[in-house]
Amino acid sequence: MIQQAALRRRSFASRAVGQGSPVRRMDGLMMLAIAALAVIGTLLVWSSTRNWMSVQPTGMAKKHVLNILIGLALFLVVAMTDYRRLQTAAPWIFIAALIGLLLVISPMGATINGHHSWITLGGGFAVQPAELAKPALVLILARCLVKPAEKTGRPRLASMALCLGATGITAALVMLEPDLGTTMVLLVITGGVLVLAGVRKRWIMAFLLLGGAMAAAVWSLGLLKPYQVARFTALINPASDPRGVGYNSTQALVAIGSGEIFGKGLFHGGQTTGRFVPEQHTDFIFTVAGEELGFLGSVTVVLLLGVVLLRAVRIARQCDDRFGALVAGGIVCWFAFQSFVNVGMTIGIMPITGIPLPFVSYGGTAMFANMMAVGMLQAIRIRGYGRRAA
Amino acid sequence: MLRLGNPGRRLHAGLIAMAFVLSLFAGRLVQLQGLDSKVLQAKAERQRVQPETLPARRGSITDVNGHELALTKDAAEIYVDPYEVDPKKREQVSSTLASELNLPKEKVDAALAKTQQRYIPLNRDVDPLRAKKIMEMRFKGVGSKPTYRRMYPGGRLAGGLLGFVGYDGHGLEGLERTYDKLLAGQDGQQSIEIGRGGERIPMTRSTRKEPVAGQDVRLTIERDIQWAAEQAIDRQVQASKAASGSVIVMDIKTGQILAMANSPGVDLNHWSTVAAEDRGNRAASEVFEPGSTNKVITAAAAIEHAGVTPNTVFRVPDQIQCADRVLKDAHTHPPEKLTFTGVIAESSNVGTIMAARKLSNQRLYDTIRAFGFGSVSGSGLPGEEAGLLPDWRTWSGSQRCTVAYGQGVSVTALQMASVYQTIANGGVRVTPSLVAGTTDGHGRLAPAPTPKQTRVISETTAKQISGMLEAAVGNDGTGTEAAIPGYRVAGKTGTAMRYDQKCGGYCGYTATFVGFTPADAPRLMALAVIQDPKKGHYGGAVAAPVFREVMSFALKTRKIPPTGTKAPKAVLRAGE
Repeated sequence: MIQQAALRRRSFASRAVGQGSPVRRMDGLMMLAIAALAVIGTLLVWSSTRNWMSVQPTGMAKKHVLNILIGLALFLVVAMTDYRRLQTAAPWIFIAALIGLLLVISPMGATINGHHSWITLGGGFAVQPAELAKPALVLILARCLVKPAEKTGRPRLASMALCLGATGITAALVMLEPDLGTTMVLLVITGGVLVLAGVRKRWIMAFLLLGGAMAAAVWSLGLLKPYQVARFTALINPASDPRGVGYNSTQALVAIGSGEIFGKGLFHGGQTTGRFVPEQHTDFIFTVAGEELGFLGSVTVVLLLGVVLLRAVRIARQCDDRFGALVAGGIVCWFAFQSFVNVGMTIGIMPITGIPLPFVSYGGTAMFANMMAVGMLQAIRIRGYGRRAA
Repeated sequence: MLRLGNPGRRLHAGLIAMAFVLSLFAGRLVQLQGLDSKVLQAKAERQRVQPETLPARRGSITDVNGHELALTKDAAEIYVDPYEVDPKKREQVSSTLASELNLPKEKVDAALAKTQQRYIPLNRDVDPLRAKKIMEMRFKGVGSKPTYRRMYPGGRLAGGLLGFVGYDGHGLEGLERTYDKLLAGQDGQQSIEIGRGGERIPMTRSTRKEPVAGQDVRLTIERDIQWAAEQAIDRQVQASKAASGSVIVMDIKTGQILAMANSPGVDLNHWSTVAAEDRGNRAASEVFEPGSTNKVITAAAAIEHAGVTPNTVFRVPDQIQCADRVLKDAHTHPPEKLTFTGVIAESSNVGTIMAARKLSNQRLYDTIRAFGFGSVSGSGLPGEEAGLLPDWRTWSGSQRCTVAYGQGVSVTALQMASVYQTIANGGVRVTPSLVAGTTDGHGRLAPAPTPKQTRVISETTAKQISGMLEAAVGNDGTGTEAAIPGYRVAGKTGTAMRYDQKCGGYCGYTATFVGFTPADAPRLMALAVIQDPKKGHYGGAVAAPVFREVMSFALKTRKIPPTGTKAPKAVLRAGE
């Protein structure tokens, strides 16, 4: 009996990590890149928050590590789940996400750091439902588009309408906060998933035109807040208002540029320590990498993000299952857009938008959402094309 | 799966797009961190690194006994950073600062309105306690930094001599300017890194060069004598409605200046309210024709080189032809048989010219020069002028006569004082000095170098002239007003025609008295000069009383007793 039990235990262990185990079938390179980004992120958060008056020097860094650990747990749970169950659960997950967004608008919503995007959970914990809406939207879109029309193999009109409806509701709720950055992420995810689902080129063109027309309308009708307009102006000419909107952009460039090839060394960036760049532990964390780790460090961050994206694309491409491919593709769009816009704005080639850098920026909910998304990617990798290999 | 609907193909396109964006980023990073990095780094440093001057404490200026005449106290500079001031609180900040700093509110308002500026000093001279009080109100955008404040406890005391410092703490006038390098010390430097909120950035290097405090300058001035001299000259300038006046008191043996007073004076704590021409040290900078006080030089030359003695008799008319001019005595008189002593004592121009005629022009010129005319005294006094002694070769026909009695030649009061110091000192000129020494950081006094001593005339000549000068203060002399009961006083009056630029010629007078005491064992000399007096103009009447007052005080202060001897009977006229 005892021997048998021991045998069973060993066999469980060998099943977990042994030959052919789910862990073995994960994309190790992607996990390595994410781990590296998380480590770098932790150091950068530490460096950029260690001289805050309100917290202890390591306070923010410790919270960041805690967020990573929670994210890791969520990742494991999601990764070990058969992702096809998510297909079934997608509508419920989506509804839950919408409820979360509604709560932000309700009296439960809270304003933290000037952003009304939080709900407080008590005990000092708070989450940003808009971040969690991203994976939820990816799932519902994939679910809607999983069955294309028999004849053409392209998405049905009805399911496309459904997708746009789901996106519209989510985006509208996020805009109410208001959070332009996340809204844009949601729109990009939708566009990306639709494109990957095989929407006709003419439809894509029509969507692009429609989007362009809407953007033009929003611009000309003055629906954007003045600060948002100013951000675009500042992108074109940062010197137009060096102490106002252009300030962030100019300071970001100054910080990154002064890092040169090898950087000032961790904790030794004068611009970072002097806190010239605003939001440098969240949206502008790339400037800390730029100043303290130099060209080598910032290029490493860009390369690591590239690795994550390329491996994610690979997962999407190799997945036999349409749902899995669409989910993976949506996540790719999400990560890619955030990475590009975030890094782009800090190096002065994109307008300033409040979008954090995946896996690097401080921010609990974003970290959870990202890690869950990675969990989905790995779940797809574990189960999505095992059959083809087999 | 159908070809067109295959996510793989479109993912492939996406992959290319991503690779493109990533390489775009890499390229941009090369630009920022490679090509443009120097520019951006310089920009960063401009923002962050603040060089800061650590002002050195300026040394004190003290009198000979260590009484502080100019000193430096801790102060604070209050400045504003209008950019940081909360617009809602601007009104409150402005009214508080205006009342605390005693500034017009409009001025503070104007400063605060310049919201694009980051540093506007409001007051550099704030009492440290008041500055502390202001800083405790914790207004954002209001700052304080330690500075020093120059103070002159004596106010007007030795004002023209000491001079003052400007807003940058460096000497603008007087000794403050002449000895600025010594007094100022060496400012320190520190460069610190300042964060966006104005806080020191931790873990950054800062360079610091400690300031070196300035040295103290100890003067030869005696505060009390200086004060008495100022009182006396102020009173007489006012009483005689004169333009200005100066007094010099000097120690005969050492050449040290014990007092150097000017009127009108300058209140050093409010120097900016004083007219520019009154801020200087007239006693060394104002040039005038000395008149009869110059006759001692002619006398010295005549005795040394022409065989004239105090008892040589001259038949002196009241006027004399000299080249193209007829030169006169101050009063008309029938021709008199005066001894040379009499000529000097009664200050006869004609008699002096007669003595000078026994000399060559060059001889007279050389003697005048030897007494220090035409060049600065070497005392290192601020603003000192050399005066004007034309070369003898350029003298006009009458000039050799006028120079003999002190017209056509210009001197400063200090130069004339030096002449009498020389005579009183047995013919040895000691370069006048004003600085006794400097004190280094450890309080050690480094005495000033011993002044140069030069023999100008023989001791015998000096003694003879002393006797003649004593006669000038005696009963029949012009300087009776200078007599000090109990003491033997030697001295000479001077009443010169005064060249005035304003009227373009000679208008008004320069009244002088210069002498020394005790005549038989000289210790102190004093000179009083009064420019353009309107009530009275004779040196004997206007200047001599000032001499008497100051000299009496100086003798008492220095505890110089009378010698107890009596002046020998002077023979002023032949046959007396």
